[in-house]
Amino acid sequence: MTTLRERFGYMMWMREFELACLEGVPTREIHGELHTAVGQEAIGAGMAGFLRADDALTSTHRNHLHAIAKGVDMRAMLAEIFEKETGLCGGFGGHMHLFDQSLKFSATGIVGAGVPVAVGHALAARMRGSDAVSVAVIGDGAVNTGAFHEAMNFAGVHQLSLVVLVENNEWAISVPFEKASATPTVAERAPAWAALGVRVDGTDVEAVADGFGAAVERARRGGGPSLVEATCYRFRGHFEGDADTYRTEKEKEARRAHDPLEITAQTLIDRGEASADEIAERRETISAAMADMLRSVRADKQPSPDQAMRHVFVEVA
Amino acid sequence: MARNLNISQCVAEALRLEMERDDTVVVLGEDVGRQGGVFGATRGLHKIFGENRVVDTPISETAITGMGVGLALDGYRPVLEIMFVDFIGVCLDQVYNAIAKNHYMSGGRVRMPIVIKTAGGAVGSGAQHSQCLWGLFAHLPGLKVVAPSNPYDAKGLMASAVESDDPVVYIEHKGLLLSRSEDFTFGYDVPESRYTVPIGQAAVIRPGNHLTLATLSGTVLPSFAAANELAAEGIDVEVIDLRSVVPLDTDTVAASVAKTGRLLIVDEDYASFGLSGELLTRVLESGVSMSAFSRHAVPDVPIPGALSLEQAVVPNQSSIMDAIREVVARP
Repeated sequence: MTTLRERFGYMMWMREFELACLEGVPTREIHGELHTAVGQEAIGAGMAGFLRADDALTSTHRNHLHAIAKGVDMRAMLAEIFEKETGLCGGFGGHMHLFDQSLKFSATGIVGAGVPVAVGHALAARMRGSDAVSVAVIGDGAVNTGAFHEAMNFAGVHQLSLVVLVENNEWAISVPFEKASATPTVAERAPAWAALGVRVDGTDVEAVADGFGAAVERARRGGGPSLVEATCYRFRGHFEGDADTYRTEKEKEARRAHDPLEITAQTLIDRGEASADEIAERRETISAAMADMLRSVRADKQPSPDQAMRHVFVEVA
Repeated sequence: MARNLNISQCVAEALRLEMERDDTVVVLGEDVGRQGGVFGATRGLHKIFGENRVVDTPISETAITGMGVGLALDGYRPVLEIMFVDFIGVCLDQVYNAIAKNHYMSGGRVRMPIVIKTAGGAVGSGAQHSQCLWGLFAHLPGLKVVAPSNPYDAKGLMASAVESDDPVVYIEHKGLLLSRSEDFTFGYDVPESRYTVPIGQAAVIRPGNHLTLATLSGTVLPSFAAANELAAEGIDVEVIDLRSVVPLDTDTVAASVAKTGRLLIVDEDYASFGLSGELLTRVLESGVSMSAFSRHAVPDVPIPGALSLEQAVVPNQSSIMDAIREVVARP
């Protein structure tokens, strides 16, 4: 059982990881898009501890926290994001395309595309008679894609061991959820696919852990698919460089004040499980460790240009 | 005595043999189970291997191809049937963004041993059920693309496709699927046991000295017939069955052109930005000299409905003979 203190530890690591990534943008060490999940740490941390190595997890363009929750090596991730040959994918993937075969973790930059892949993992588990669970994390934008519907329907028909966790941060780039979804919530759609629908406060790490953990447990014992909607707010633009004028400053300010890290810290203090000093000290330690990791990654090389034609095929004629 | 099989039986036999030797081979698609495929190319598999390995899916091509990715990531070798190649438009995302790229994007750490088995070719079904589209797949890096022309290759190339650690788009020709061994003068003797035909090697179907005709799939048979008829006019055509678009066996074609000095590419796919232009470029780049070259492909027009219109745009024996005469007549 993962304790709240441990989940808070995850949250701090996740926040510091995203802050470290941000350092690579102005320096052009990350020369393309970067999507961070600052503000969505309660969801990533709420997922931690429930998944085994043989459970599959597919993620999105905003995937760093999910990878950390699955146990993917953070240094290898950071190196991939910083375009290094030591990266998780040798620098061939980039931050939207992280793969860790040993943990059955994969990410896609195509909105909605991870759900059928997760269903494929779930079908594989069914075929081999395993109780492995398959999880797809998606954003609220993905729930209006055809891929989502097709995949949910197949999982429902075969009652596969699938959990779809929707991070509803209310904005699909500039389009608000109420302008994109025919239903006020995602969770209420679940019966259409014979799935269980659950809606949790995605800024409350314990609520996420309860909802997600129950869905994983249900899937593991053969109870069929679940659709877990976790409400949250993306603290930064869709990508680094997004002018983000579609959300008012007033809204952003108000929502950022509801910071899941601060909320969780306060809960720990209120319950007497940690003191403010202890939390500050721990945050300092994690921040320093992340800085060390970043320094070390920065010293690595980019992949050699003569490698660019490798890996198109396994078998080369 | 050769067995008189049709090509869909050859494909089903290849799949059965692959499924027998490798438990990780599974088949997913619309009507592939109880029905045995709308063209019969998965016949018998459901009965032998059961619904756990031969999965009838809803009409959800994106789910089919996406599940193929998940199955491959999870250690399986899925054979995904997309009934008509024309339907690839609704699931191309999974094909070219995941199946074709995951090996590369993972720096070689992930493999996608997936077969996308699909039917192309014009058989009178109009613009949305008659395309070939191998040029489309070939344009997207990371996919091997095969299109067999005869029973022997249909079985052997399917075995190679399933065995391959790379994704392979296997395009059957609808006009050939129901053709029987007795309809062929080459590639008709299909052994009952397992064998493979290597992907990426063209076959010289008919040797000749005056012109190299390179083609594949449904236009091999009419090209072969055209060459045999033109022999009476003293035109000696070498017919090459390319068998795959990716990899493209330029060496075999260039070696032939070095002998004949003339090249005609016959392609049932669209003419522009496709196989014919690519093969011609590669042969030219090989440095071999040619006195004449041409291509006979579907002009850039959708496949029409009426037979009179279809015959006006899809290469057939008569139009191939005209094209051969035209290239041979040039100085």
